[in-house]
Amino acid sequence: MRAPSPLDRRQFLVRTSAVGGALVIGLQPAHGAEAAPTVSAAPSTWLKIAPDDTVTVYVPTPESGNGAMTQCALYVAEELACDWSKVHAEMASGTAKFIEQKAYGRSVHFFSGRTTVEGSMDAMLQVGASARERLRVAAAETWNVPVSEIVAKDSVLTHRPTGRRLPYGHVAARAADVHLAQEPALKPPGEWTLLGKVSQGKLTNKQVVDGTAVFGMDVRLPNMLYAALLQSPVQGGHLKSYDFEAIRKMPGVHSVVVVDPAEPRFPAPTTPYSRATANRPQSAVAVLGDHYWQAKQALDALPVEWDPGSGAQWKTTEQLHGHALRACETPGKVSQSIGDTMAKLKAPGGVVLESSYLTPFCDHVTMEPLNGMAMVTADHVEVWHPTQMPLTAFYLAMEETGFPQEKVTLHPTLIGGAFGRRVICDDVRMVVAIAKKVPERPVHVIWSREESMHQGRYRALEAARLTARLGEDGKPEALLARIAGVGQTTGIGQPTSGLANTPYFLSASPNTQVELTDLPVHIMTGPYRGPSYNSNAFIVECFIDECAAAAKTDPIDYRLKLLAAWADPGWAKCLETVRRKSGWGQALPRGEGRGVGISNWGGDGRPEAGTTVAVVARVAVSPTGDLTVRRLDVAFDCGSIINKDAVLAQVEGGTLFGLNMSLNEGLTIADGRIVEGNFHEYPMIRMADVPEVHIHFDAVTGHKRFSELGEPPVGPVGPAIANAIFAATGKRIRQTPFRKQDLSWA
Amino acid sequence: MTSITVNGKQLAVQADPATPLLWVLRDHLGLTGSKFGCGVGLCGACTVQIDGVALRSCQVPLDAVGSAKVMTVEGLSNSGDHPLQTAWIELNVPQCGYCQSGMLVAADALLAQTPHPTDADIDAAMTNICRCGTYLRVRAGIHKAAAAMAAKTKA
Repeated sequence: MRAPSPLDRRQFLVRTSAVGGALVIGLQPAHGAEAAPTVSAAPSTWLKIAPDDTVTVYVPTPESGNGAMTQCALYVAEELACDWSKVHAEMASGTAKFIEQKAYGRSVHFFSGRTTVEGSMDAMLQVGASARERLRVAAAETWNVPVSEIVAKDSVLTHRPTGRRLPYGHVAARAADVHLAQEPALKPPGEWTLLGKVSQGKLTNKQVVDGTAVFGMDVRLPNMLYAALLQSPVQGGHLKSYDFEAIRKMPGVHSVVVVDPAEPRFPAPTTPYSRATANRPQSAVAVLGDHYWQAKQALDALPVEWDPGSGAQWKTTEQLHGHALRACETPGKVSQSIGDTMAKLKAPGGVVLESSYLTPFCDHVTMEPLNGMAMVTADHVEVWHPTQMPLTAFYLAMEETGFPQEKVTLHPTLIGGAFGRRVICDDVRMVVAIAKKVPERPVHVIWSREESMHQGRYRALEAARLTARLGEDGKPEALLARIAGVGQTTGIGQPTSGLANTPYFLSASPNTQVELTDLPVHIMTGPYRGPSYNSNAFIVECFIDECAAAAKTDPIDYRLKLLAAWADPGWAKCLETVRRKSGWGQALPRGEGRGVGISNWGGDGRPEAGTTVAVVARVAVSPTGDLTVRRLDVAFDCGSIINKDAVLAQVEGGTLFGLNMSLNEGLTIADGRIVEGNFHEYPMIRMADVPEVHIHFDAVTGHKRFSELGEPPVGPVGPAIANAIFAATGKRIRQTPFRKQDLSWA
Repeated sequence: MTSITVNGKQLAVQADPATPLLWVLRDHLGLTGSKFGCGVGLCGACTVQIDGVALRSCQVPLDAVGSAKVMTVEGLSNSGDHPLQTAWIELNVPQCGYCQSGMLVAADALLAQTPHPTDADIDAAMTNICRCGTYLRVRAGIHKAAAAMAAKTKA
């Protein structure tokens, strides 16, 4: 192992080693070098170049379908100048090294596209560049020529004057002994040949299409047990009794394990997610068996009694929704205030508008139900898990077992859909809590679809009342939003995101105020594809549409007028693009209409930040109220683009996610429990429901940022549809999901 | 012991005859390509072909399989080069990928019946749920594979 080369400006050190003839590149934090890691001197491994030229990139970013693994490998390949067909990506295992050396410190909080870029890009580029330079030096030493004469391209080193060639793998071992006085500088983005230039498909596609991809559900270990899980149907309730004797003799039954929230747990480091209310230990019973189906059959037959706790007071959905809407009738805690909104609302003249909105609890419904595997021995805990938050998962394994970090190993698997559900890590906690009761055996804990849906960490229920007084020019002179929601202060998220941080509330009106009320309801919430933004974009964009109608102005013209003072040309460009492309303004048959919505996720009120998306929806509503979405035109501005097809895939997915959320999704409550358990009760769009979707790149401004695409489209789809329903029927729809509202017209 | 034929191989299974085929494939035979998504036959992640017919394997008990031939995603091709698999990679169809085995097996059954499906044929046959929203690419992938298979037949 060579001494580390300092990399001052990036605060981490490149370390190299030769393992079995391969060049291995690792990273260590520069500031931690003198602090002497207690666990291991070995750095975390990021890259391996084998003698056969195979390039393996170890990715610390969870892969949930957003292409994060591929993206990380692309960064390495850009600087490494290797043949893409030789590149493989593997999940980096979480060990104490990964925690203690903080080599992954910048990238363990990632779970979205944004963090894949901001968290990993520099480190991955540097790893590629540092490997390439060592390979060039090794080739120069081999031929005894100046390194300046060596060109690295497509996994081949060429001596330019003589044309001699060496594949990377042939000098990989020698490159591990190369010491560079200084790590190479990164190419300026203008010289990139892959990033922004070439669209590569996901590296995981091959295993997905031949069935060999390993999701959490697919991990198989010798001597493993399966556990079928049941938690209190009313969240927060407690197990009163169960009767193991009733199922003891059923085939394949091993045991029953109980998880008690009050049992001792151990001090461990925390993250915001491991401290969240939604992560607290829950009361549970699990039947363990030789096979999952046997365990599930036995669980279904197990007599169980629960004390539902205080959550049972919420008897009906109407009771809860009414409570939320009423909470918006009185002032809440002021979270943002500009000018003198309350006085200006009461000023004489103009038109006053007031409307109330509601968005219900929604479940993530990841196609892979919640699950995970753990094995706890006398001195070690090992976890195999489809998690979005490896660091939180790691700490929770410590908290549940009391083991120090060097006795913990986490193997992140591919993730069968996440959308924020696998951020909280309540699933990881439960898996370890059960496995520790059956030492020495790997236990695969599986939530049934019903259990996954009943034990969600849901998109928050939110009610809002918006009030505006429009001036003579039709623009709001004063604008007030009162929001009441569940988990607004106890959950994770930004409860006013997509509302308070819009240009409407920041620059379009001289007097704006946002107030918040938290509803103490037992149902747990968590991030869901654009936390709070997905509700707030609906609320704001529907209300602005109402203001446009009151001002007798075309909805796109009205928005452009309000955005005139906003220092980000991307917004107007998105609106102009969808206006041009969607056939906006062209006549439609009776019962059909177009509507618009626009919102930004990730910018948090800063111009030229995050991603802005505008949508025009075209709908048809039958007189009896059947809704068909015929066409969606989507324009977006994320700044700049690294992988065009990956961007397109995320916008397609986000658009259809927003469509499903707005058309279909809404959980109901009975005696404190979530009623819906499976797809017959919580419908999903299928192939036949998918409208024509046109995604336009014309609004991409080229501003120097690479903002994320997963969450942003989820915001504007719903309001665009609601506003299109108004255009078609004259009815304002102020609640989602639309298919549960009365859309009939005459 | 029950004997079943999966992907052309006759296999012996020691399982309760009432065990759904999905769990026989996954937990007894180690064929984890077929996925558990809902357990009630609604999502299609567990789709396999039984004598060429696409069925939800979570709804088929082991003892109902008898001598029928079961095909899972692992049986689509020997080296991942079925025209659907090739189209899926070329068009970058999967996102998380969890539903795609079921999609591919259902699409293969569709193309066997209807070599040149229209969009309406695809809508009717492909009832699998994808939460990531890959529907547009699944549809394009089926058309692409159909074209590739037609070209191969001609040649």
